[in-house]
Amino acid sequence: MNFDFSLIISSIPQLLEGLGLTFQLWIFSGIFGLLLAIVLMLMRISGKWYLSAPAMVYIYIFRGTPILVQLFIIYHGLPQVEFIRESFLWVVLREPFGCGILALTLNTGAYVSEILRGGVKGVPKGLGEAGAALGLSKMHRFIYITTPLAVRLAIPAYSNDVISLMKSTALVSTITLLDMMGIARVIVSETYAPYEIFISLMIIYLVITWATQKAFALFERRMSRHIIQ
Amino acid sequence: MSLANTAPKTVISLQDVDKYFGEFHALRKINLTVAKGERIVICGPSGSGKSTLIRCINRLEEHNSGKIIVDGHELTDQVKDIDAVRREVGMVFQNFNLFPHLTIVENLMLAPRLVRKTAKAEARKHAMTLLERVRIPEQADKYPSQLSGGQQQRVAIARALCMNPAIMLFDEPTSALDPEMINEVLEVMTDLAKEGMTMICVTHEMGFARSVADTVVFMDAGEIVERNTPEEFFKNPQEERTQKFLKQILSH
Amino acid sequence: MESLTGWWDDFFWGSLVVVQVFFVSLVLMVFFGLLGSAAKLSNSKALQKIANGYTIVFRGTPEILILLLFYFGSAITLTAIVNVFDPSIKFVDIDPFWAGSIAIGLIVGAYATETFRGAFLGVDPGQIEASRALGISNFNTFVYIRIPAMWRLALPPFGNHMLSLIKDTALISVIGLQETMFVAEQATANTGEPFVMYLAVGIIYLSFSTIITLTVMGYEKYGNKHLEVGK
Repeated sequence: MNFDFSLIISSIPQLLEGLGLTFQLWIFSGIFGLLLAIVLMLMRISGKWYLSAPAMVYIYIFRGTPILVQLFIIYHGLPQVEFIRESFLWVVLREPFGCGILALTLNTGAYVSEILRGGVKGVPKGLGEAGAALGLSKMHRFIYITTPLAVRLAIPAYSNDVISLMKSTALVSTITLLDMMGIARVIVSETYAPYEIFISLMIIYLVITWATQKAFALFERRMSRHIIQ
Repeated sequence: MSLANTAPKTVISLQDVDKYFGEFHALRKINLTVAKGERIVICGPSGSGKSTLIRCINRLEEHNSGKIIVDGHELTDQVKDIDAVRREVGMVFQNFNLFPHLTIVENLMLAPRLVRKTAKAEARKHAMTLLERVRIPEQADKYPSQLSGGQQQRVAIARALCMNPAIMLFDEPTSALDPEMINEVLEVMTDLAKEGMTMICVTHEMGFARSVADTVVFMDAGEIVERNTPEEFFKNPQEERTQKFLKQILSH
Repeated sequence: MESLTGWWDDFFWGSLVVVQVFFVSLVLMVFFGLLGSAAKLSNSKALQKIANGYTIVFRGTPEILILLLFYFGSAITLTAIVNVFDPSIKFVDIDPFWAGSIAIGLIVGAYATETFRGAFLGVDPGQIEASRALGISNFNTFVYIRIPAMWRLALPPFGNHMLSLIKDTALISVIGLQETMFVAEQATANTGEPFVMYLAVGIIYLSFSTIITLTVMGYEKYGNKHLEVGK
C-alpha cells in the first residue's frame, strides 16, 4: 500500500475550493436557524397552548429524526408534492443549495431553541422577582433582565451547536453539492486514494472547529467577565 | 381612599387572608394592619409563613381568599392594581438579587428609567444620592460580583429606595450574610426607620427588633400568634408557643 | 399511501438492521467512552494526550467523513494486510455493518468520554471519604458508591448519546448498508413516490427515538426514587 503524504498536502487547495460553499451553508443556516430558534423558544415559553404545543411538536420531530432523512425528504421528496412544485417556494427548493439551507435551518432551529430555553430557565428566579418588586413589567423584565443573562448562559451549548451545524454541512455532498466534502468524494473516485484525501479534508475541518471554539471561548470570557455563575 | 378607623393612617390592611400552596395551608386567616411610619418585625420558626405573608403584600405570591389593601389600592389579579402597589412598596431579599450584568448604579437606575420614565441624567443623580445614603458611593461603577455581601445588600436597599416607596418590606435581609457584615446592613435599616419609613421586616435579629421596632409579631404554622410592643413581647410573652420560641432563639 | 404496500416487510427488515447497528455501536460507545474517560482521568500524561486526540478528532470531524474514511480506509488497509499473505487478492470487502457500527461507536464514544469524565468528577468526594473512613475497600467503594452516583449524573446526557447513535445509523446508508434509507431509495425508484418513502423512514426513526427517550425517562425516575421527598 502506498501512502502518499504529498497527496495530503497537495489536495488541500482543491478541497478549499469548496470552502466557500461550506461557509455559505453554515452561515446562512446559522442565521436563519437562530431566528427560527428565537421564534420557537418564545412560542414554547409563551404559556399559551396553541403556541407552545406546535412548537413542542416541531422540536420533537426535528430532534427525533436524522438530519440526513430530513434532507432527503426535502430534496428528493418535496418535488413529488404538487403543491410545492406550483408554489413560489419552488424556485428555492428546486436547487440542491436551497434544499440544503432549508434542511439545515429547520434542524438547527429546533436544537438551538432548546438551548435558548435552557438559558432562560437558568436565570435565577430571584432576579425576576426583584424586577417585579421594583415594578418592572413582564416584558421589561424579559428584555432587560432575563435575556442578557440567558444569552450568557447559553453560549457554551450554542457554540457546540454551531460546530455541529458546520459538520452537518458535509451532508449536502449527498445531494450533489460540491462543498468540500463533495469535492473530496469526487477526487477520491478519480484517484482511488481515500485515506490521503479524507485525512486532508479532516485536517481542514479540525482547523475550522478549533478556530470556532477559540473564538467562542474569547466571546464567552468577554461577556461573562463580571458574572459569577 | 384609606381605611380610617385608626388615628394614624393605615397603609396596609390584611383582612382574613388565606393562602395555600397546593394542600399546604401557609397562611390561616391573617388579620393585620400597618400604620404609616410603623416599624413591624415579624419573627417565628421556619415554615411559619412569615416570608409568604410579606410576599403576598407585593403580589410575589397570590393570596387565595381575604383582602389585602395597600395604600388605598386593593390587591387583585388586575395588572394595573399590582403595578400600582409595587410602585409604592419596595422589597429587599435575603439573597440580594442584584442584577449581575449591570453595574451598581445601573442596578439602581433601571427601574426608575423604565417604570417612571425618568431621564438618564436625573436617574443617575438620584441613584448616586442613595448610594451615599447607604454609604458606598465609590462602588457605583463596579459590578455586584465585586462587592461583599454586606455591600451588595446595602445596594439592594438603595435600589428599592430609588423608586421612592412609601413602604419597605425586608425578607430576612441579613440571613445570608457573614456575621461581621450584619451590622452595616442593620445600621442602614435603622437609619431608614429613624427617617420615618414604614417597614415590615422578617428577621431573626432580635436586637434590631428591640431597638427599632414599634411592634413585634410572632407567627407560627401560618397564624399570627401574638403581637405586642417589643418590650412587652420579650418581657411578657403571653402564648406558650411564643415562650417556647423565645427560649429557643435567645438561649444560645 | 398505498404505494407503501409491498414495502412493509422491506422496511421492517431495514428497521431490524438499524436496531442491530444501534446495539452494537451502543456497546462500543460505552466501551470507548469508559476507556477514554479513564485515560483522561488517569495520571499518565501520555494517556491523557491520546484520549484528548481521540475526542478532538472524533468530535471535530463530520460524521459522514469518518464513515467514509473508515469504510474505504479499512478496505484498503485490510487489502494491504491480506496482500502480504496473498498478493493475488485485489480487494477485501468490508461489511458496511461493521465499518459503520465501529465508526459510530467511536464517534459517539468521544462524546461519551466527556460525559463519563464529568460524571466521575461530579461524584461528591465527601461520600468517598465517608466510605473509606468506614473501612470499605477501594474496590467496593468504587462499585457500591462511586458507580451508582456517577451513573445517575451521566444518565441524562447518556440518553442524548443514545439518540445520536440511532440517528447516525441513517448515515451508514451512504456506505451501502441496506437499512431503511436504502429501502426507501429502492422503493422510490420503483414507485416514484420519494416523499412517502422517506417520510416512512422519518417515522420509523421518530418511533425509535421516542422509545429511547421514554426508556431513559423511566430509568431517571427509577434512579432518583431515593431523592423524592416524602409527602
